[in-house]
Order: sequence, then structure tokens, then C-alpha cells
Amino acid sequence: MNIEIEEISKAFGTTAALHPVSLSIPSGTLVALLGPSGSGKTTLLRILGGLEFPSAGRVLFDGADATGLTVQERRAGFVFQSYALFRHMTVFDNIAYGLRARPRKTRPAGPEIARRVTRLLDLIKLPDIGARYPSQLSGGQRQRVALARALAIEPRMLLLDEPFGALDARVRKELRQGLRDIHDTTGLTTVFVTHDQEEAMELADLIVVMSMGRIEQVGRPDDIRARPKTPFVREFISA
Amino acid sequence: MTSRTLSLKAPTPMPGWGLSFGIMLSMLSVVVLIPMGVLLWRGFVDFGAAGIWEVINRPRVWAALELSFRAALVASLFNLVFGVALAWVLVRYRFPGKRIVDAAVDLPFALPTAVAGIALTAIYAPRGVFGAFMLEHFGLRIAYTEIGIWIALIFVGLPFVVRTVQPVIEEIDRETEEVSATLGASRLRTITHVILPMLAPAALTGFALALARSVGEYGSVIFIAGNLPNVTEIAPLLIVIRLEEFDYDGAVAIAIAMLAISFALLLAINLIQIWSRRRMGAV
Amino acid sequence: MTDITPTRWRPATTEPALVKWSLTGLCLAVLTVLLFAPLIAVFDEALRRGWAFALASLGDPDAQSAIRLTLVVAAISVPLNAAFGIAAAWAITKFDWRGKAWVITLIDLPFSVSPVVAGLLFVLMFGANSALGGWLVANGFPVVFAVPGIVLATMFITFPFVARELIPVMLEQGRAEEEAALTLGASGWRTFLTVTLPNIRWALLYGVLLCNARAMGEFGAVAVVSGKIRGQTTTMPLMIEMFYNEYLSVAAFTMASVLALLALVTLTLKSALEWRYADQLAATHRHH
Repeated sequence: MNIEIEEISKAFGTTAALHPVSLSIPSGTLVALLGPSGSGKTTLLRILGGLEFPSAGRVLFDGADATGLTVQERRAGFVFQSYALFRHMTVFDNIAYGLRARPRKTRPAGPEIARRVTRLLDLIKLPDIGARYPSQLSGGQRQRVALARALAIEPRMLLLDEPFGALDARVRKELRQGLRDIHDTTGLTTVFVTHDQEEAMELADLIVVMSMGRIEQVGRPDDIRARPKTPFVREFISA
Repeated sequence: MTSRTLSLKAPTPMPGWGLSFGIMLSMLSVVVLIPMGVLLWRGFVDFGAAGIWEVINRPRVWAALELSFRAALVASLFNLVFGVALAWVLVRYRFPGKRIVDAAVDLPFALPTAVAGIALTAIYAPRGVFGAFMLEHFGLRIAYTEIGIWIALIFVGLPFVVRTVQPVIEEIDRETEEVSATLGASRLRTITHVILPMLAPAALTGFALALARSVGEYGSVIFIAGNLPNVTEIAPLLIVIRLEEFDYDGAVAIAIAMLAISFALLLAINLIQIWSRRRMGAV
Repeated sequence: MTDITPTRWRPATTEPALVKWSLTGLCLAVLTVLLFAPLIAVFDEALRRGWAFALASLGDPDAQSAIRLTLVVAAISVPLNAAFGIAAAWAITKFDWRGKAWVITLIDLPFSVSPVVAGLLFVLMFGANSALGGWLVANGFPVVFAVPGIVLATMFITFPFVARELIPVMLEQGRAEEEAALTLGASGWRTFLTVTLPNIRWALLYGVLLCNARAMGEFGAVAVVSGKIRGQTTTMPLMIEMFYNEYLSVAAFTMASVLALLALVTLTLKSALEWRYADQLAATHRHH
């Protein structure tokens, strides 16, 4: 699915988190929103997911206006920075949550839900942890469960907020490859937020560099490295 | 597009705003705001400030208000000192039965005030266990005197300081105490100059809560107080007496005086707290 | 080499043993005189003339009706306050809006109002000499000197309990889990019932427990609005006062024992919650 962002802006009270920004994301791309904290990248991601409402502008999914769609209607697989796993549910129940929340007509039967959850646990390479609770998992495992939970709803796109932020360096490297693999097998349009330029360079097809609520530059990793458009980008990339 | 012009609230996809805000505001209005408004209206519009003053400015009312605040202050000061000591003992020391003692601190929260009232009277009356002892050995009467009121109010306000200070003591970084010792401070000096100032804001909060509670306390006091006009008659009791005489204006005037003094005290304590927090930085 | 005799040494973060023991002893002595002795006195006075006599006093029709009324009042006011607490905590913690701090202050207001003044509020509003009260009485729905007034006064006194317990817990838990449920397609109600409610259930129970203890034991506010009509508007605490003033000491203390037992059960459950589910309660209750 391709995503079109048209002149989106967002103000919290009197402070502008996003000045009007426009961006077009082709279907199937893996995009990094890269910038320091306070650059507006998380706000933009939350607007795509329907968790924030823009002050002005439009969001189009496959050419259709999606601005007024509710969170539920968007079917965006969202991975939160804190993972936001339901702490009182097992891993299995966490992953099954979105399927069970569907209206009766489209809700898969119990065995079908179980089969899908098992398949997702295989996909994230953690087949045996279905009965555990989030508190019994390592950071890396939690991140992968959050990813599986987001994938379970058969999302139209995947949105990830600092997916590797809370992990140590070794696990981070490993999971980067995991995300790349999942993106390649599912073919989902994927947007992730990061402040780590190395991570963006290594993982993304397309990098969107942001600063102070504005988009500084959009381009392929080698393009941005070779030809930074603004002094900010040059400094941020070389940091 | 959907209407999202309501500027009271930032827009969000979180559901249930109308329902939750509606329930909250309507119940708050029916149970608290409208009744309080009626009281203030009755007092200031129907009766007038001059009328209120005329009621208060009589010896019996004045004595009752003074007694209520004096006794609440004495009891809360006792609870301030004792509460800090007890919180320290409960966090730092080990002794048998500590769990039970810790749980029992909340007894005044859970025990109905009327039960506390008759129970305290039973043991502090001249024929009760402690009452007889104090009378015989010290010639001191407790029940049916102002001391009895103090005892009841100490009981009622006991948990507040303990419960606000306890978590703060648990969070004290031991290194702060150790550094004080390495700098040559005696243990006593460490406590008075390092630890107690750290506890001060929480202790003051507890003190304010205890004070607010004991100023208006009725149930536990009336049994032990003796209720002698001008001597051991507390302000809430005088409101009840006025109501029984169908003197609504008199009751309203005393109630408004009590509210005014309570809020003045709470405001003062809040200001002290802000001041002490600012002086100590972000604590 | 010399022997190290650590006679003078002690850790830098403790007091001398003598100080420890005397401070502990002093605290326990004060607690005995102020807390434990009165509690024992309640049961001791009730059983002064034996079990049979004490239990018989509970069979008195007035005592029976007082117990029934107290249960009815708690059964109405506690769920209503729980509903209020949940709604208020949701509105306050899940949304950003102007005037929030004021509303929180107003919710806490009943804590600094005398119970007698609380009762007075409803007498003024619904008493027979007010316009509203007169109309209600004329239409056969008296509030003051009747059950509705007792319920309202009880609700006022216990108003902040559940909200105060839930707000810090829900603030600490944040909004991410609810947001995650929404992105997974869950409706608002489903999100509340399957994500929020399980996370706050122990805190809710804690608040309800304290609310109930206070509701069943409220004296001053109820004394003012109820009119103390024997057998009709007399709750258990009011019945205690009546028995006591009539020198029916055993009856008064037996009824007091029932409420004291309720208090002990409440404390036990409360401590059990603090011990078992500390991480799911407001931080101020975690001291174990």
C-alpha cells in the first residue's frame, strides 16, 4: 500500500510539533524517519497510525483519503517503543488479541486463531514461548512478540516507534536483520522511527531526515550520505 | 470531516471521553459542587457576611471554634512528631510483630468513628483502665476534659503522617547518609541535618491531612468530650445543636466559618510546602 | 598482627542499639495505649455479660433494622462511587484537557469538609424548608430524614476514595497498552474491559474496600441527615450512639464489635493486597 502525506501539520497547544510536511511512500518500501528527539518523527508516525489527529492536512492510503479513519479502521500494525504488551495476558493471548477483537462475522474460529498465532511465533523464531507472560521475556523477545502481535491483524502497513531503542547493541544488530527479513517476506509498507543514523542507513530503502518539525531531506541511504542537502543533515549524518 | 473544534480537550483517538467526562462531571456536581454552592449561597446571599459574623461573634460559638482548632493543632503536632518516629521505626528497625503493627497503623482509617469514640471513652473514663490509673497517680482527668478531645483527635489523625513519610524513608539513598558520616557528622547530626529535612515536605503533607481531618471530626470526639458549652463543646457539635433547634442560619454561619479557617490553614501549609520544596530543589 | 575487635564499629546508617530499642519501645507503648487498648476494650465491654447476652442484643428489631439499613446504604453508595472513580480516572488519565488540576482538587474537597457540614449541605438542599425539598416531600419522595439523604451524605464522605486510588495507578501505567489495543482493532469498550480493567482490578478493589469501610461506619454526616428515626433511618453507627446514651452498654459495644470486626477484615484484606499486588497499587501503598 502506498502512503501519501499532504501538508500535514500538528500543534500541541501553542507549540508546533509538525510544520506542514508532505511525503509520499511507495508501496512496499522500508522507510526510516530519522531525526533527533523533538524533530516530530514520532508525531508523524502516530498520525499515520491514527493515534494523533493532525491539526491540518490529509493522509491518503492507496489514493483514498484516510484522515478521518479511526485507529481501528486503519489496520496499521503498530509497534510501540515500550512494546506495550498486555502484561496480564500470555504471549499467545497477546498475539491473538487483534483476531479475537474482530466482529463475529470476520473473526476466525478458535483453531484457526491458534494456527495463525503458532505461525507467527515461528516467524519471529520463538516457537515455544506462547504460554509465558511478558514479564518473563527478555527485551529482545518482547520486541519480537510486539511485532508478531502487530502482524497478526494482517495489517495494511507496519509502523514501528524506535523498535530497537531499548535493546543492547548485540541484540539490536540481530533484530535489525529480523525486521528486514519480515519486511521482505510480507512485502508490507513499513515505517520506523529512529534517532540512530547507522540503523537507518543499514536497514532502510528510503530515509526521511527530520528536524524541528520539518523534513530536511528524503532519499536513499547512499544518496543522503553522498549529497546531504542542508547543513543539519550533513552534521547529523556525520555524527 | 468530524467536528473536533471542542478546544477544552486535545484531540485523540482514545475512546470514552464523552461518557467518562459526563459521568464525572454530573456526579461531581450532584454530590459535591451543587450542595457546596447551596451552602455558600445560603450563607453569603441570603444571610450575608454581616449576619455570619454576628453568629460567630458570640462567646459560645467563638469558644467552640477555638477549641476545635486548638485541639486539632495539638493532636496534629503530636502526630507529626510521633508519625515521623513511627515511620522510621517501621522502615528501618526489625522487631517481632512488625507486619501486624504496620497494618494496625491504618486502624483509625478503617474503624468507624463512633466505635473509636465509645472505646476510647471506655478506657479513659475515670472508671476505665487508663482513666482510673491517671486519676489515681497524677490526679489527671482525661475523658470529659479537653485532654480527652486531644486523645480522640490523635487517634483519628494517627495514620496520615506515618503513611506519607514511610515511602519517602524507603527511598532515601543510603549513600547520602554514608557521605554525611564520612564527612565527620555524628549520627544525630546526620539525622537532624540530612534526613529530617528530606522528610519535611512529606511530613507537612501528612500534617495538613491530619489537621483537615481532625478539625471537623465529630463521631469519635462527642463521646469522650463531655460537651460542656464554652469548655468542651466542639464546633461540629454546635452545628448539630443549631440544626436540632431548627436554627439553620446559625448552623450555616458556623459551617462557613469552619470551612474558611480550614482552607486558610491548608493554603498556609501548601505555601510552606512549596517554599520548602523550592529551597531543597526538586524533591 | 593485632586482633580486630569491632566493638566501636557499627554501620554508618544505623543508630546505637540503645536508641533503637528505646524508640521502638516508645512507639509500641503509644500504639498500645492509643490503638490496641481501645480495640480490645470494644470486645471486652461487649462480652462483659457473656456471649449469649451480647448476641441476644443483636436480635433486637431496631438493631436488625440498623444492620439492614447500613447494608442497603453501602450497597447503593459504594458501586456509585466506584463508577464515579473509574469514570473520573479515565477522563483524567487518558485525556489532556484544560482545568484538570481544578477538577482533581474538587474531587478531593470532601476530605477537608467536616462530616457534620457534609450532612448540613444535604439538609439545606433537600430539607423540607427548601424549595426543592418541599416539592420532593409533596411528591412523596423525601430525601432528608430518609434513605436517599443518607446515601447522598455517605457518597459525599467517601467520594474521593476510588478515584484517588485509581488515578496514580493509571497515570503510572500510561496509555500505550490501550493504544496498542486500538491499533489492533479493539473497540473502546473492549479495550476498557480486556486491557484497562485487568490492569487496575486490584487497585479498584483496594479503593472499594476503603470506600466500603468508611461508608458503613460514617457517623457525623449520617447523624445530621437521617433524623435518627428508630427502626427506619438509623444506621449501625447511629444505633451504637442510641444504645450508649440509653446506658445499654453491652448492646452498644456488641454492635461496635460487629463494625470493629468489619474494620479488622478490611485491614487484613488491604494488607494482603499490599503484600501480594504491591506493583499494581498506587506507589504510596507499597511499603512491604
